[in-house]
Formats: sequence, C-alpha cells, structure tokens
Amino acid sequence: MNIFSRAILWAIVWSFLSCIGDDIIDDRVDPVLRITNAIDTMEINTNYTFEALFLNHVGKEEVITLEWNTSDPDLMRIDPDGNATALAVGVVRIGVKGIAPSGEAVQDEVPCVIGNSTVNNLKERKAIVKTTSSYLLEGDAVLQEMEGGFLKLSLAENYKASTALPGLYVYLTNNPNTTAGAYEIGAVSVFSGAHDYELPSEVKLTDYDYLLYYCKPFNVKVGDGKFED
Amino acid sequence: MSRSVTANLKTKYLVMTKKVIFIILALYTFSSWSYAGGGWPVPKGGFYFKLSEWWLISDRHYTDAGQIDPNITSGIFNTSIYTEYGLTNRLGLVVYFPFLSRAYVNNVVSGTTGDLLIAGDAINTIGDTDIGLKYSLTPQGSIKTAVTLTLGLPLGNSSGGSQQNLQTGDGEFNQMLSFDAGTSFSTKRVTFYTNVMMGVNNRTNDFSDEFRYGLEFGAGFLDRKIWIVGRLTGVESFKNGATAAQVNSTSIFANNSEYTSYGAELSYYLTSKIGFNVGYASAFRGELIFANPSYTVGVFLDFTK
Repeated sequence: MNIFSRAILWAIVWSFLSCIGDDIIDDRVDPVLRITNAIDTMEINTNYTFEALFLNHVGKEEVITLEWNTSDPDLMRIDPDGNATALAVGVVRIGVKGIAPSGEAVQDEVPCVIGNSTVNNLKERKAIVKTTSSYLLEGDAVLQEMEGGFLKLSLAENYKASTALPGLYVYLTNNPNTTAGAYEIGAVSVFSGAHDYELPSEVKLTDYDYLLYYCKPFNVKVGDGKFED
Repeated sequence: MSRSVTANLKTKYLVMTKKVIFIILALYTFSSWSYAGGGWPVPKGGFYFKLSEWWLISDRHYTDAGQIDPNITSGIFNTSIYTEYGLTNRLGLVVYFPFLSRAYVNNVVSGTTGDLLIAGDAINTIGDTDIGLKYSLTPQGSIKTAVTLTLGLPLGNSSGGSQQNLQTGDGEFNQMLSFDAGTSFSTKRVTFYTNVMMGVNNRTNDFSDEFRYGLEFGAGFLDRKIWIVGRLTGVESFKNGATAAQVNSTSIFANNSEYTSYGAELSYYLTSKIGFNVGYASAFRGELIFANPSYTVGVFLDFTK
C-alpha cells in the first residue's frame, strides 16, 4: 500500500471517526409551584376551583401532592383538590404547598377578595426582553389574553434584534436555558419595532414564565425575558 | 488547501537559478475553501497533486459584534484533492475538490437529568469545489505577479440534516478575481519568500461580495526539503447581500462573515517528488465565523519539474 492509499484510508477513517458527541448544558432551574388561575375577587356563596402547576428543576410539569389552605377558614374554605367556597365578605390569602421530588419545599400564595361578583383582572403579563449573548436583543413584551380566549404576544416599539443570525426563533418556556419543552411560537421575521404574534387558545396566560429567543439551527441562546407574576 | 507554495519554490529554484516568487492564498473559512497561488503556474505539462484532510471543530464563534459566544459543538472534516496542471508555461489550471465532506453537530444533553434534549446530526457529502485559471503576468521580473480567476461551484450541501443546519457548502456560485505579487531571495542555506494577495469575490444568491487579502512569509531549509510558512489572511465583507432579516433561512449562514486569521504550515519533502505537510490556522478577529482553530494534514506529489 503506497503512501497515497494509506493517506486516503486514513482520511476517510478519520472523517467517519469524528462522531457526534455530547454537549452538556446547565439547564437547572429552581422548582416552582404556582397557582395558575388566581382571581382578584370571588363572589360570596359560590364555589371556585383553584389550580396549581408544579414545574420541576428543569422546568417540566410534574404531578406532586398538594396541600391547599386559606388564611381565614371563616371567610373561605378550600378542600385538598383546590375547591374553594366563599363564605363571608373579606380578604383572604389562598395558599398551596408541596414537596418537590428533589426534596425542596415549594409553595405559592395569592390574595383574593370575597365580594359580590367573581372578577379576574389578570389579562396580561409583561416582560422585558434582553440579550444574554453578544447579539442585539432588547425590548418590552406583553402577553395578553384577548376576547375569544386566545393570547397575543406583542413586542413594543423599542424592540430590536440582530439581523445577523439565521434561524432566530421565539419561544415560550419555563426553562430559559433550553428549548426542550418550550412552546415554539415561530421564526422571527421582524427585527425592530412593534409587532404581534397570535397564539392558539391552547396556550394559557400562566402556562409559561419566560420568553426565549434562540438561534434554532445553531442552538445558540440569544436572550430572554421573564414575565412578571 | 491550495498547492503548497513550498513545492513551487523548490521546483522553480531547481529548474531556474533565479529568484522565485510564490504566491498563495490560504483561506481560513469553515468550509475550507482554498485557492491557487503562486507567481508561476506549473510549467506546461507538469502537475502537482495533493491529498489532504482539513478539519475544524468549534464550540464558539465570533458574533456580529465581534465578540466570542459559545455554541453547540459542531465540526466539519474535508477530505480533498488539490491539483495544479500547467496548460502553458504561464497559464495553469487549478482544481480543489473535497470529495468527502462531513459536517456534524453534537447532541445537547441536560446537565441536570442526563436526558437527550436535542439530538445531534451529521451529513456526508462532497463539498463545494473550486476551479481556477492562473495567469502569470510577469514571469521574468524580480517581482512576480499573477492573476487568478476562481469559480466556486456549489456542489456541497447548504442545508443538510434534520434541522437543515448542517452545511458542506454555502449554496452559491461565486467568482473570485485575485492578484498576487511576491518576491524571494536566498542565502547559502535558506530560501526566503514573501507574497501579498488581494482579491474580490463576487457571490450570488444574496450573499455579500467580499474583499480578500493575504500576506505570507516562507523559508526553506535543508536544501529546501523543509519549508516553514506563516500566513496572515482575511476577508472583509461588502455587506451588500441579504441578512437574516431578509432571508430567514439557514442557507444564509456565513453571509457577511469577516475575519483576519493567522496560520502556519510545515512541509517536508520525503523524496524529490513526494512529501507531506501539516498546518494550523486560527482567527484573531472575526464576525459570524467559528472562533476555533483549524488543522490540516496532507501528502503531495510534485511533478512540476
């Protein structure tokens, strides 16, 4: 075998030995338990079922045992499934707690007024989008619940994003370190100024806590924004 | 990798007892383009053949702001043939053909759970190929000049893999016109040369055109059996093509790339006609280009004398 035959063989073997490896990313987030359908005011002598969502240390939904409670059982009674009954006019705090599989205690608490009608004023959540890379990304965002039950994500006039990246996508997620488990809104086609994305009714206002910008083809995180509670 | 300038130097030095100039443009790009160089095309009927492996594994890149950001590790391996053939004593044909080009991207794995988050991928195709004609303008002067027209044929895959994010080519047909000038001198034991190159690369498919430049120094030792070469090369984009804002496609990747790179190469003639070389290159500034070093190893046949 002459030197060129050996070289060809070596080159081909070397090429194919360049196997796909693993890149390990730090995707840990704090476990979170949150009440997803809080209301501002609950009508007296009515029932309402509160719901809670537990997200584990990678932002994935997981079922755990929950304990519901209220700050004043004389004003509101709540059972282990989150079914609440408003008994008297006043202000209470509804709480939920549990133990994450990783051992951490998690809890959430929301205020609720007991009055003459049931009112939910939470119709939007705001976020400030910022870069976490060297690529330009900034602006204000708001996720709004529209009539008809669908959501609209609006980026404000002050929004700017780098035009240099190919395949820039925007996501809703509970883990800003990865697109795994995220809801893909779509490819970014507007790189400055106000614009909107309409989301399907399956996506709820409190399902996700972060807006995530990601260069999808090259797996590069560009930036994110956390929705205020 | 282009034809070894050291082969040129050795040949011309032996054939002619004149000072020689050799010209090379070594490009540092992630797709391993290369172009012919040399003030002299190969003498009529002579040829030079090189088989080489070039590779780059990258986990960081220069952003559009010139900063270095991390990315999921990806790699490209080009197994290529490079050849020059002398059509006349002044006109040479140059072909670079990466007959096996492998591009891959790593798996993304959760550091928390160990779960596979995004599966890696790989493609194996032929790569973008260059065909060029080089004409020596001043074959007799003390400063040798040449012009080269290189056609970049988009034979590679510009959007391979399940995510269409793997590339063994850029998907565009380009034409580059370059000008080289160089000179050399010898002492008793060492032959030195230097060369400068400038070129304009016209790119199609909404890619930006480019200005390319290079500066090279080389020295031959041990009766020109060993050559050590240092290079400074660069690309400045005219930024007159589409951006991601206009063309939302991965095929636009590497558009508007810029860099200045340095490199070194060592060539050794095992016999008067057979040798091998090793090379290294890395960018010390750039925009939208991988920031890790590239490597090359090759063996060559030199029948230019």
